[in-house]
Amino acid sequence: MTDLLEVEDVHTYIGQHHILQGVSLRIRPDAVTVLLGRNGAGKTTTMRTIMGVLHPRRGAVRFDGRPIHALPPFAVARLGIGYVPEGQGIFATLTVEENLRVATLADSAESRERLRRIVELFPDLDRFRHARAGTLSGGQKQMLSIARAFVNPTRLLLIDEPSKGLAPIVVEHLVEALRAMKRHSTVVLVEQNFAMASALADEYYLIDDGRTVHAGAMAALVADHALKRKYLGL
Amino acid sequence: MSRRAPLLVTLVAFLLPLLWIEPRTYLTLTVAGLAMGMLIFLVASGLTLIFGLMDVLNFAHGALFSWGAYAGFTAAVLLNQRWGWAAAPSVAANVSLLVIALAAAAAVTVGLGILVERVIVRPVYGQHLFQILITLGATIVLEELIRIVWGPNDQVVPVPATFQGSWDIADIVVLKIPVLAIVLGAAVYAGMLGLLNRTRVGLIVRAGVENNEMVQVMGHNIYRYFTGVFAAGSALAGAGGLMWALFSQSVRPAMGGEQLIFAFIVVIIGGLGSVTGSLVGALLVGLSYNYVAFLVPKAAIGVTMGLMVLILLFRPAGLYGAAR
Amino acid sequence: MTPPPASPVRSARLEERRRRWRDPTLALRLALVAAFAMVPLVPSFQAMDLALKIALFATLVASYDVVIGYTGIVSFGHAMFFGFGAYAVALALGRFGAPDYGHLALGFAAGILVSAAVAVAIGTFSLRVKALFFAMITLAFAEFALILAVQWSQVTGGEDGLSPTLPGVFAVTYAGRVLGVAVTGRLVTYYAVLAACVALFLVMRRFVQSPLGRTLQAIRDNELRAEALGFRTFVFQILASSFGSVVASVLGGCYALWVRYVNPESTLGIPIMLDVLLMVIIGGIGTLYGGIIGAAFLLTARTLLPDLRGLGAALFPGSEIFQRLADRWLLYFGVLFILVVFFFPKGVLGTVRERLARRGAPGEV
Repeated sequence: MTDLLEVEDVHTYIGQHHILQGVSLRIRPDAVTVLLGRNGAGKTTTMRTIMGVLHPRRGAVRFDGRPIHALPPFAVARLGIGYVPEGQGIFATLTVEENLRVATLADSAESRERLRRIVELFPDLDRFRHARAGTLSGGQKQMLSIARAFVNPTRLLLIDEPSKGLAPIVVEHLVEALRAMKRHSTVVLVEQNFAMASALADEYYLIDDGRTVHAGAMAALVADHALKRKYLGL
Repeated sequence: MSRRAPLLVTLVAFLLPLLWIEPRTYLTLTVAGLAMGMLIFLVASGLTLIFGLMDVLNFAHGALFSWGAYAGFTAAVLLNQRWGWAAAPSVAANVSLLVIALAAAAAVTVGLGILVERVIVRPVYGQHLFQILITLGATIVLEELIRIVWGPNDQVVPVPATFQGSWDIADIVVLKIPVLAIVLGAAVYAGMLGLLNRTRVGLIVRAGVENNEMVQVMGHNIYRYFTGVFAAGSALAGAGGLMWALFSQSVRPAMGGEQLIFAFIVVIIGGLGSVTGSLVGALLVGLSYNYVAFLVPKAAIGVTMGLMVLILLFRPAGLYGAAR
Repeated sequence: MTPPPASPVRSARLEERRRRWRDPTLALRLALVAAFAMVPLVPSFQAMDLALKIALFATLVASYDVVIGYTGIVSFGHAMFFGFGAYAVALALGRFGAPDYGHLALGFAAGILVSAAVAVAIGTFSLRVKALFFAMITLAFAEFALILAVQWSQVTGGEDGLSPTLPGVFAVTYAGRVLGVAVTGRLVTYYAVLAACVALFLVMRRFVQSPLGRTLQAIRDNELRAEALGFRTFVFQILASSFGSVVASVLGGCYALWVRYVNPESTLGIPIMLDVLLMVIIGGIGTLYGGIIGAAFLLTARTLLPDLRGLGAALFPGSEIFQRLADRWLLYFGVLFILVVFFFPKGVLGTVRERLARRGAPGEV
């Protein structure tokens, strides 16, 4: 099975700081892969590199076999990669509806159908469609952010710490929603909440100090206490 | 503080001087103040969008103001020399001259704006210090080019006959050019709001002002919007320049730089990225400057600074600015 | 008996201290100071004037570099603080009767206090916002200071400015010869100002290399991270900004002493700010010493400009276009600005340092 996304020995610098010192990932299609690691290990930087917001100095990122690491973010997005950043990144001064409209690249029957299905999953979005997005609750903002990523046909979804700052019951709802989305797209998840990660992920990559240090099936990690303690402090 | 606060402040600023100035003079000053405000608004509105969307401190804006003035001035002089469209009392000729001059000003500045954005600003995108320095350099070059092409001295602008002079309404003197400026400014404001709030392009720009990285991640080529906003802002600056030239009946190479500081203060007062903010700010500045200039001439500039400091104390990000 | 292993921080400090004395560039720096000290031996006032102005502006640029290069704050108010110092000294020496050393000290002190106060005030209510916003606010203040200086003519002499008389030893007309050089008040002023520049430079270097200075660089590189590490970045930034402004103020006072004429255009205005910006860009941001190169280049070019024009006129006599183009030297200034930013963003010194670092040469410049 060919990988949907391949990150090969990527070194990314932010200014003079050598943040990623050799990250390698292979993402299978139709699976949920989680990136785990301590704060500052380089997980978000990896996501941003894949998305094209940062460009690696060394190494390559390939989507469907073709190199994308030199593309600007909008080109990467148009290839079918959606990004839900840490902190949601919603436009607070725009309404919920306007947020979704910004996300819509092509106004077609297909996209309208997709929008309908999303609203089904997140009924709050319909109820508050004319409210300014800044007035939504944390959980609702997260739903909006995920919904936006799905407005266009997304083959790969990158989600960065969706559960951050959310109440446990909201996290539960989130997990259900993401489980439903699993069927429509491949997901790469960065998540500190280990319970959530283990509920959703099929595979994991451990990132430490800007390097990939371990990878495998999620089930194996759950059972491996030594590894968890060493890299995650659990 | 509520969102209505800025409007209350404007209202107070508006009516307070009535305590010291008698009504007829007050009205003349008000018209002058509103006109000055509208002209500054033209410059500030483009500037605030450029800041808000692109994070660029565009010093070249002042030079574009000057270039717009000179381009329009040249068109006006040519039309006047050939066919006497300014001197003639014909309303049709006068209005045509104005429209053509404005078009010339806008066309030249749009072209220059695109050039500046592509060649000067884009290569250093993301590095604030260098952007500032390079637009400063561009300003110097552009201003010097004006001196080379048109000469370094002040020149008189032919004001079309219809717009000269004033109306006498119930013993109140109302100059015509300021009224024209106010009408133009109001039209521009309405147009900008319409564009921003009702079109898709405007939607993307508004989203970009808030977070331009996110807009890119959602699949939009933000660079096209940058060029567009820069060009539109330049055109507005150019139009403002021409109107100012008509207002003051002269053109000078340094005129842009002098107005730019007002525009900066207005952007600070209004808040980065807010068109309404720059309108309210501009009117506040224009009105307060005129009232105070009448009452205590030397304190006029001080009032503008004082206003800025006062507003920053209560709203550090400007009246309509988003706290970042 | 072997000494206990030093902690990483301590060993880094020891290593640095060792390096400092064996540093080849130390000799270079001493030579530079010696060169400046020997300029008066050349019997040309123009040379002395140029040399001292280079020293003054180099130090001014260095103080600006502390704010912009080491702390990462973009500010346009720096020339304003220079002007404050100049005016403070000029006023102290002119408005209180016959000037003496007390007045001089008072002038400097007043300049320092006003600059520090204004820097803190501006910083307090503007540093919390976007960097661009702050830059604009400083610009607005600088413009305002200029207009104030022009309008408040009873105190500041308006556009005509002030011409202070110098106290005591600085005003001596002639007091014999040393090494063939006439000892005059001018000579004394020269060495006094030079000493001040060197002293200020050393202070700035110490500041930048101190833990405080390093914290500031960390803040510049990644403000969020520094905050996460527990540093109240805001306080540090105000400290850096005030430090820079105080140094600028002292330099302004020195300028007033040397030039003996202070007016808004030459000390407060945009031209000074532009000069400083160009010098810091040519020399290199974040290098402190870059200012020397930038100042030397710009000021020498300016002094030689009339001669160049004369040369040009001699080569192309009667050419009107040449005249027009030559008159517009500011145009070339602007183009130079742009070119330097594009091709040498790190400035001369910055590029040199980078090349050396890549080759792995030891020692700091």
